Amino acid sequence: MHVNYWREVHTTSLGRIGLGLIILMAATAALAPLLTTCQPSAYTGAPFAAPSAQHWLGTNDVGQDIWTHLLYGARTSLAVGSGVALLSLCLSVLAGCSSALLGGLYDRLLMRLVDALIIIPPVIVAILAAAYLRPNTILLVFLLSAFSWPGGARVIRAQTLSLKERMPVYAARTFGASRRRLLFSHIIPDLGPLLIALMIQDARRAVFMEAGLSFLGVCDPTIVSWGKMMQHALKFVYMDVWRWWLLPTGFALSLTIMGFTFTGFALESALNPRLRKEVSHAGN
Amino acid sequence: MRTLFSKPSTPIGLFAISLLALALLVLAATGCNTAKKGDRPAGLQDPIYTIADPAGDWGFPSPFAHYSRGPGYVRMSFIFDTLIWKDNQGYIPALAKSWEFLKDENAYLFLLQDQATWHDGHPFTAKDVVFSMDYMKAHSYEWVNLGVVKKAEAVDDFTVKLYLNRPYAPFLEHIAGTAPILPEHIWKDIQEPRQFLQKEALIGTGPFKLKDYSKEQGTYLYEAYSQYYQGTPKISRLKFVKVRNEMAAAALRQKQVNVAQVPPEIAGELKKEGLRKLTGRHDWVAKLMINHQKAPLDSVEFRQALAYAIDRRALVATCQRGHGLEGSPGLVPPDNSWFNARAAAAYPYDCVKAAEILAGLGYEKKDGCFKKDGQTLELELLISGGGTGVSGFPGEREGEMVKEMLETAGIKINLRSLEAKILDNLVNEWKFDLALSGHGGMGGDPETLNKVISGKAFISARFNRSDELNLLLEQQMKETDQDRRREFVNRIQEVYAREMPCLPLYYPTWDYLSDDRVSLYFTPQGIGSGVPQPLNKMSFLN
Repeated sequence: MHVNYWREVHTTSLGRIGLGLIILMAATAALAPLLTTCQPSAYTGAPFAAPSAQHWLGTNDVGQDIWTHLLYGARTSLAVGSGVALLSLCLSVLAGCSSALLGGLYDRLLMRLVDALIIIPPVIVAILAAAYLRPNTILLVFLLSAFSWPGGARVIRAQTLSLKERMPVYAARTFGASRRRLLFSHIIPDLGPLLIALMIQDARRAVFMEAGLSFLGVCDPTIVSWGKMMQHALKFVYMDVWRWWLLPTGFALSLTIMGFTFTGFALESALNPRLRKEVSHAGN
Repeated sequence: MRTLFSKPSTPIGLFAISLLALALLVLAATGCNTAKKGDRPAGLQDPIYTIADPAGDWGFPSPFAHYSRGPGYVRMSFIFDTLIWKDNQGYIPALAKSWEFLKDENAYLFLLQDQATWHDGHPFTAKDVVFSMDYMKAHSYEWVNLGVVKKAEAVDDFTVKLYLNRPYAPFLEHIAGTAPILPEHIWKDIQEPRQFLQKEALIGTGPFKLKDYSKEQGTYLYEAYSQYYQGTPKISRLKFVKVRNEMAAAALRQKQVNVAQVPPEIAGELKKEGLRKLTGRHDWVAKLMINHQKAPLDSVEFRQALAYAIDRRALVATCQRGHGLEGSPGLVPPDNSWFNARAAAAYPYDCVKAAEILAGLGYEKKDGCFKKDGQTLELELLISGGGTGVSGFPGEREGEMVKEMLETAGIKINLRSLEAKILDNLVNEWKFDLALSGHGGMGGDPETLNKVISGKAFISARFNRSDELNLLLEQQMKETDQDRRREFVNRIQEVYAREMPCLPLYYPTWDYLSDDRVSLYFTPQGIGSGVPQPLNKMSFLN
């Protein structure tokens, strides 16, 4: 576990492209107010105006600036992606590590719960939840996290079972280290790269699902979202507007998902000895 | 180590796959708009007349199983005839050759067709009419209220008399011209008509027989009934297929469909390409539903403030891109013969006036929001996020704009986007503050006003707290003198505008484009009791 993962990722082509795309999208989201003079909700032009110096990507059906929506849509996607990634990871670590360390009936029951949750489609649950609760970004993060953690919990449990039999952990246990100390001082630090890979995977799924649910209309209507932009744009595919409305939005979503996927590939190459071509050690 | 991602081949290969995916996305999108005039006509020799519909399924087309909205009735009307019908000129004979109102007896006398037969060959007689009236009184049919019919009596095999228990002005339109006549020999033993979904349930006297119905695909295939008493239909097969509005233009250009409702932006272009454009009257209304049973919306003044705070003209100009008419506070559309211009003049957009009314109700404006007793004035607005397939149905765009207008006036609005049927359910159960919805039928007889003001359906305002309005609604139903009735209807619109139980926002323009193989037309006052579609079965007869 002493491989230099950062170097492994950023020295590979895929890793560089992936990280570059993620950084680009994060910068776009963070700097959105500086990159446009319009407000997303403002009706700033005539409906379906073609791209111009004033409206770089033209305007939508109600005269709102599409470029502004594209920028602010990145905020929603990344906020949901990172929110789900963090919350889901916390739940996965809690469930996976505790299951591996405690074992017994608790382990068996928790894993059956994981089995049950994995087969429930989160999209259906989100649609049902929207009927009773007011859909908003925070609710969406909680819902997606609730159905994203089981997969990660399984992987973490398996890795924890392996780690706890390794010499440093075994030694710490013989010296009387508590489970909490074993977990926080020995196991979680060694799980680090795996946790990052899981976070990237969860973020990628969350970005995609947020767009999908917004596309279906299950979202906070006041939030700008790429999925919602595509839903609106598809209603006008019989006009030329799709070129500057649907395509850029589709590209932005694709590039974001590609960013996460490529980074994930690069990280997995580093994590998996069978995929790694040469090793860069931390001290190199 | 468990594999999280599938094994990449090479970085270059992966990047190439990603680029390919993007290219496919581009191709898919460009494919949306590639249909041009002159492309190969897919169905040139096909004798089937195909009608595009954005929603597809409108239920099993028997009288009791079709969906209660207009398109469901239209599908049923091809199979089942009524006593009288309407074409583009007005009332015409259907199963009744002629009819007469017997004022002394408060009854209608109908002379029936003696050549009409059911689709299974049985002759049609007056007994079927009597049975249909009795059956629909025992098993309510949503489209017809037969409470006004005291008795149906067969004078002889082809004469029937319907006695009314009170004067009822819209009898011809809402009963004789809407109630489907059922075959007694099929329906007499059916106790649960809504569960009767066998092929026998589709035996009628209409010009078409149903050959195939797919709920999943949303398709209906009809076959002409060669023994039809008004002559064999000129179209041998008729088909309804599901085509989304945005794809309708491409389907028309590729000759996959003969008629379709198309978005107004492209209707002119299609007309130039040789298709016939049919623009209907504005019989569909988009409304702001108001829960007038709960505070603060139970206050007339508060509802009036809402009406002042919403710029209906801007909604049409921006969200409908000018393709529609501004909502009249009196509910009746401006292009309707019963329209009252005085009622329509109420509530011009006036934020200041709205603020004054709210201040008069004890609200204080602080930080841009009205407050009372320390609580911010806050309402929830339900909208249908995914759309309904109805062109012009108010959704997110309208919701965002109404929210902005009301917040400008100082009323905080929380938007909640829901699936259309869930929204209808919440409205039906009064679990809402404000909601965007809509319905058709505004071109029908003014009885529609009773249905959508005090009726029990979820599309109705379900408002009966004004004794004056209740009385006027009752009087206009009884009044058979047209001029007197017009006075009542005018007054209803004014009182409705004053009480404002539900705010009409706009009436969208609906354009249909047809290849003119059949001369379609919009029926005056709508098909049956007001369906605003140009799909009158009479268009398909020689």
